[in-house]
Amino acid sequence: MAARSTSTSLQLLLHFLVLRPLTRLVFGAGIEGRAHLRGLTQFILVANHNSHLDLPLIFQLLPLRQIPRTHPMAAHEYFSRSRLLFRSVELLFGPVWVVRGGGGGGAGADPVAAPAPEPGSKAGPSPEAAMAAMRKHLRAGRSVVIFPEGTRGRPGEIAAFRRGVGRLAVEFPQVPVIPVFIAGTERALPRAAGVPIPLWTRIVVGPPLRYVAAGEQPGVRSAEEAEAAARRVTAELERQVRSLAERETARRHRRRERRPPAPLVAVLGIDGSGKSTLARALAERLSTGRRTALVSDEVVFFEEGESLRLQPLLAEQVRRRLNRRVKTARSLESYKIPKLAELLLRDRVAGQLLRWRAADVIVLDGCPVLNLAAWARLYREAEYDDDACTALLRAITGRDTDVGRRHPIFRRFPELSALARLRLIPLRAPDAVMFLDVEPAIAMARILARGETQQVHETEDKLARLREGYLTVCRVLESALGLPARILDGARSREAIVAEALEQLGSWHDPRVGAPDPSQRTPPPPDGRSTHA
Amino acid sequence: MAMSASQMTLAGAFLALTVALGLCRIRGVSRAVAVYLPYLWTFFLVFTLIELVSVTLGIWTLAALCFLALREYFTLTDLRYQDRWGVLAAYAAIPFMFYFVQIDWYGMFIISVPVYVLLVVPFLIALGGKDPRGAVLSVGIIVLGLMLLVYCVGHVAYLARYSTWMAAYVVLAVAACDLLAYLFRARDRSPLRSILLQLLAPAPVTTGLALLLRPWTGIPVNHSVALALMIPLLVAMGCHTINYLEADLGIERDRLHPGRGQILNELKSFVYVAPVTFHYLRYVLDVF
Repeated sequence: MAARSTSTSLQLLLHFLVLRPLTRLVFGAGIEGRAHLRGLTQFILVANHNSHLDLPLIFQLLPLRQIPRTHPMAAHEYFSRSRLLFRSVELLFGPVWVVRGGGGGGAGADPVAAPAPEPGSKAGPSPEAAMAAMRKHLRAGRSVVIFPEGTRGRPGEIAAFRRGVGRLAVEFPQVPVIPVFIAGTERALPRAAGVPIPLWTRIVVGPPLRYVAAGEQPGVRSAEEAEAAARRVTAELERQVRSLAERETARRHRRRERRPPAPLVAVLGIDGSGKSTLARALAERLSTGRRTALVSDEVVFFEEGESLRLQPLLAEQVRRRLNRRVKTARSLESYKIPKLAELLLRDRVAGQLLRWRAADVIVLDGCPVLNLAAWARLYREAEYDDDACTALLRAITGRDTDVGRRHPIFRRFPELSALARLRLIPLRAPDAVMFLDVEPAIAMARILARGETQQVHETEDKLARLREGYLTVCRVLESALGLPARILDGARSREAIVAEALEQLGSWHDPRVGAPDPSQRTPPPPDGRSTHA
Repeated sequence: MAMSASQMTLAGAFLALTVALGLCRIRGVSRAVAVYLPYLWTFFLVFTLIELVSVTLGIWTLAALCFLALREYFTLTDLRYQDRWGVLAAYAAIPFMFYFVQIDWYGMFIISVPVYVLLVVPFLIALGGKDPRGAVLSVGIIVLGLMLLVYCVGHVAYLARYSTWMAAYVVLAVAACDLLAYLFRARDRSPLRSILLQLLAPAPVTTGLALLLRPWTGIPVNHSVALALMIPLLVAMGCHTINYLEADLGIERDRLHPGRGQILNELKSFVYVAPVTFHYLRYVLDVF
């Protein structure tokens, strides 16, 4: 008896003089709701568990007189690895030891009456024996602390509660259950860390709960009824702790998550092939469960099939003005420079969309890189072949360091040299390409049917040469650059073409442009910040 | 041991602040007083300890304050698991820096963060981390915290080491600027007028304080006026900067409590004032 009283005095002294000041100095421990514990002589304290600091922090909550009368459940196999640690924990917290997932004590063993298990030995009380010990403490008017997750879970997450706590709450309806949420310990001493770092922690104490229904006699339940009640109570306690966690939720500095850049899907085709219509249809259809951007004659965002109005981009405004000028050019020579500028601006707009607007997929009506490579055929037909196209694409995209400024391609295409000197290349390469192939005669018929002013290159002969250029580009993309480039028959109905394009995209290896899946939606953070606990 | 008039005044001010703080705790007060009184009390505790007990004790009390501020800052920032040794090194830098204050090794004090912390922290992070993503940001977060909350605020300790009354003048002038700024903001004026008032209105108060405390601070009149004009500007700069950082850290003004931005919020006015005033006194006035 004298030994027990000495041990209790030592326990109180260590808590009062060492553990409490040290914990407070290093981990702060802001406590909210301490008043809920006032006046209680016995309780079942239920808390989330992320760190070994949780136990000393919980004991900070308790009035000094409650400390020797409160017993947590602690993992024997973990603490018994060090004799000093085992003895210290035993002295400071008077725990009920448990060997998770087994143990040698068996259900019949009495870990309270029996001598304490030895540190270093693997044998210790099984979960059933530990539960029996908890019951014995509760019957003796003492309090218990339980971490119903069973073990330290993933940092900052509350795992599903195990049913033991529900059973105790149902078996001892007169004992109030106190939900507690501990925040910050998962950062100060996470599971994998050996050394704690000083950080503020918070403890939120919820109001005491009593699980006895009106007019119910807890002792007269059948086993099934008791188990169902335990399940219900466990779920309710888990909900209570989670609601405390939500209350504690506060904004904190968060790093911007690194999102992979949105894939660029380019739709190519000669004028009159219907590529703008296809690009718009693709952007609309792909927007189910995500946000898509269409870069065509205008920039449009789509979400769930609806177009969105966003703040206009300066580069986009300039590009649209330039595009109007391009359409009224009278010769190929006067067409060349404004069109080139327009293509470069189109690339810039795509870059800005990638960087700032958090689109999940960007659909390009035409593609600056590929248009430049294909249009080279129109201007330098004699020097244009598959090899030249490959070198051009490599030079424009900057993918191949072998195609440096000394490469002969720069001498063959002076425009390329000028672009390189002005540092206007490299440009972005698309991630997937759809080429809408139609006969130039059909394309011309469609252009004439529009009734608009014909552009300088809108003749059957030039469209045929452009078509050849695009086909060469698609061939080179697949063979030399390894990019998916699909050729679609543009003479069919619009619906058939769109269906085939979606099917082709669905078969592509990148899931970001595959079949739309609403569950994969990642809402773009407007300012890169999110709300976390 | 007979106390001098200046020591008695300092002790009297500390006692008055203690009584005021006690009354506030019992009766509850407006937010302005609740926010500004505790840090005024803490600084006067430091000054009283320096004057009446021991310079070392006063300096190390301020070191504890810097530790609490840094702990709060690190709690609010998004540091990675790999940064733990860097964070520990930052905490370990506090005793070194305040030891340099204690032994009056100013050269080492001013280079410790820009040179040694910036060499040691990235090294430790690189040692401990397998994933390098975000390492540069982590080094920035750690060193910025140390720079603002230990190096800058630590200058108050250096100032107090040489002249308690000079440090007390700075603290009182900053408190006056803070209180007036709070009152102007509370009146809901236009932002421009509010900023102008924050800069101009405290000047007579800080000048009056400088002239009143001149017998103990020993600062000549012209320099007292120059300091009195400089301090409101530095307070405004410090507040503006830390307010901006507070927004990124997620500190909400109406939910301030220890661990959630209260200490950082209370020290923000000193971040610019303490080092610049110290350098003014050391290099322009040449008093130290």
